[in-house]
Amino acid sequence: MKRQYSYILFLLPFLLACKPKAPTHVVDAGTADFTKFIAIGDGHTAGYMDDGLSLDGQKNSLGAILQQQLMTVGAPAIEMPWMPDQNIGLSANGLSRLILGYKTDCQGMSSLSPVRYSLQGETAAFSSSAYNPMKKHTNFGVPGLRMIDMVSTAFGNINLPQHNGFFARMSKDQFNLPGSGNYSSVQENIFDGGYPTFCSIYLGIEDVLPYARSGATQNPMSPLAGFPGVGFEESLTQLCEQLYSQQVKAAIATIPNISDWPFFNTIPYNGLTLDEEKAASLNQIYNPIGISFVVGSNPFMVADPNAGMFGVRPAVPGEKILLTAPLDSVKCNQMGSIFPFRNEFVLTTDELATIQSRIDAFNAVIRQKATTYGFALVETGDFYDKLTTGFTYNGASLSAKFVSGGAFSLDGIHLNPRGNALLANEFIKAINKKFTAKIPLINALNYNAILFP
Amino acid sequence: MHQRSLFVYVGLLLISTVLTVAKAQGFQVNFQGQKQQGMGCAGSALIQDASTLFFNPAGASFVSKSQVNFATTPIFANVMYVDSATNEIYRTENPVGTPLNLYALVKSKRFHRLAYGLSITTPFGSTVQYEPGWIGRFAITRLSMKVFHIQPTASFKITDNISIGAGFVFSPGSVNLQKDVPVQFNDGSFGKAEISGAAMGYGYNLGVYYNPGGFLSAGLSYRSGINMSVSDGQVDFTVPEGLAANFPNGTLSASLALPSVTTLGLNIKPNASWNIVADINYVGWNTYDTLAFDYATNTSSLLDTKSPRMYQNIFAFRGGIQYTVLAKDKVLNVRFGGGFGFSPVPTGYLTPETPDGNRAYFTSGISYEFNKRFSLDASIYATKITRADTNLETQLSGTFTTIAWAPGIGINYNW
Repeated sequence: MKRQYSYILFLLPFLLACKPKAPTHVVDAGTADFTKFIAIGDGHTAGYMDDGLSLDGQKNSLGAILQQQLMTVGAPAIEMPWMPDQNIGLSANGLSRLILGYKTDCQGMSSLSPVRYSLQGETAAFSSSAYNPMKKHTNFGVPGLRMIDMVSTAFGNINLPQHNGFFARMSKDQFNLPGSGNYSSVQENIFDGGYPTFCSIYLGIEDVLPYARSGATQNPMSPLAGFPGVGFEESLTQLCEQLYSQQVKAAIATIPNISDWPFFNTIPYNGLTLDEEKAASLNQIYNPIGISFVVGSNPFMVADPNAGMFGVRPAVPGEKILLTAPLDSVKCNQMGSIFPFRNEFVLTTDELATIQSRIDAFNAVIRQKATTYGFALVETGDFYDKLTTGFTYNGASLSAKFVSGGAFSLDGIHLNPRGNALLANEFIKAINKKFTAKIPLINALNYNAILFP
Repeated sequence: MHQRSLFVYVGLLLISTVLTVAKAQGFQVNFQGQKQQGMGCAGSALIQDASTLFFNPAGASFVSKSQVNFATTPIFANVMYVDSATNEIYRTENPVGTPLNLYALVKSKRFHRLAYGLSITTPFGSTVQYEPGWIGRFAITRLSMKVFHIQPTASFKITDNISIGAGFVFSPGSVNLQKDVPVQFNDGSFGKAEISGAAMGYGYNLGVYYNPGGFLSAGLSYRSGINMSVSDGQVDFTVPEGLAANFPNGTLSASLALPSVTTLGLNIKPNASWNIVADINYVGWNTYDTLAFDYATNTSSLLDTKSPRMYQNIFAFRGGIQYTVLAKDKVLNVRFGGGFGFSPVPTGYLTPETPDGNRAYFTSGISYEFNKRFSLDASIYATKITRADTNLETQLSGTFTTIAWAPGIGINYNW
């Protein structure tokens, strides 16, 4: 009898381990070298969010999240011009950051709304230097930094009105005029103490955004042509040349379509909701010039010098009413109806087209430079398009909707930590592809979205 | 699994009659008879004890004596999830599952061709609990499903060789599902949702069995699908106060379709010492196409959900061998076997509550008859399942690896 074989079979189930064994993953920098990494960019890279810069925002910035992950392949520890740890925040206008709170409107209705964290921002940060020669910054994210500001000596000069307070506090000048007689530029600061081995570059948004935010009334967009410091293209070229001459590798990002952001899309063009009485009284006013109103939703009235002799017309589909529009005045003081929205609260389709064509021109330059200099190209537009459509990430829905979308911060412009983590993943994907690296992606659920009271 | 775990198990079993079960094809649990479990969970055509009430009700009239049979099979299931994007690893912290079965089979004294019985079994269910903060937390953090089948059964021998049997199945059950809600409190912690409810379903179990008493015997059985409906479930949300109006607590209704199982069983007996058994199951999983929750109160944030599951009908093949070591007054049988089952979960629909995949498994078992009245059975089952997928609904993308051990023990008393 072959009894012994049956005993072997009898033991088969006992051969298995108790728990699944964790696999080991190869993590590899590929052909890139991250030992001296520097993140270059504007407020996104700096961690400006909820209309303010705060310590928490800095830790959850695009630059810091990306660098944190690159530390798995040799990037150095993150050094930023840290803000105070009270997390009050500081906006470009000296205000504190926004949080979600309860706000009572002019009709006495209380609802959730972005409100300032406190009466005043951490303005003292603008006058205390965060530069430390022993801990050189690895993150040159500067809120408001344009491509054309990279070589500007006025940018850190606190005696000039166009200076940038966020940069002045991190500059090696420490508010003092250096021996050269010129304040140091952002670029000089970046290369201070040796060239990096790898840079992330996310610039260009601020070359168009301030214009769009003003309703196309002020802050003209950067021109494409012109010398470094004047024109977008040559400013980028000189930066790329500098990096290339020192064999610095980089990942460079294109400029997203900013008009898809919640700041421009939260108030619909036809958000004027009227009952019978209000529609009738508006008709009394406007019927004589050929404009009529119906019960329900109507286009807001906007000021337009070209619209007949009264310079007022209904908004048309595709036009954007900006988040800065005073909603209390809409509710209680006939703003947007009897009193049309002023130009600063509106982007017309023509203005939008002008902005879009400038972005397209800048992006064409960015793509071309990425090819020329062998940089990884991050198409941020693809990511923002996905947000505009809405998508599911590990069971959580994300979209470009204000507050409920969960990706943008409360200013409707900058991403929140989770949005930054997802955008950082786009950088990693591009780096992995270009430099045959194996860097794992970030779990964006570990980063906060919108916090509710 | 080793001694310490066994002691832990004995303690748990004593203090708990909770049925918590994991890991079988889909959420089907195939641990309903110790002797079959020793032979790759096959053996529906080798009638040895009252567990035939479940496997093939027609076999009951072929059991020689009245019998009570009780068995339990603690399941130690560990799931590891490796996220494909982040390489992060998460594991389950499943409680020990304790499927059990209790069979009482009575031979009619007046009509020798008739037997009837009652079985209480737990053929479906699972408790899956993932570690805190796991990446799939919005899909599920914990699911506990309990299903009892209470089945009164009668079996009748039409001739000396052929019998039929039928049972009616009452199926009470309960479900408790917990997950995180992707809204955050000011401290960064996530909201939570808990859905719980009692369910009830009805079905039947039919069989025909042929045993000419020689080289071959065969059986065919059909357990119907059962629609478990939760009519009065409850959903409770823990969300920030500012969002409480968006996530109202309240009642909900849902239903879950348990599949039908058709089984063809064969037993070949080449000589007095050996039995070779084989079962083919056809499981009608395609009734589980959607997991729907219908909330009594809907808001813009709380819509009724219809999650596609799209399960497919599958075959499972099971086989085993029984060798009779001692056959005198104290009978000793040893068994081994194995099986292979296809997964009912199609690509794109793998979910963390049932991280299922095609599986192969091995089992072995032993029985000892102390005397004509009293005998003991033991078995052990082990399997490893690996499955990678990207769920179309949640976009959860990674590899689930499950290792499950199930040592079982049972007692039989005849009269």
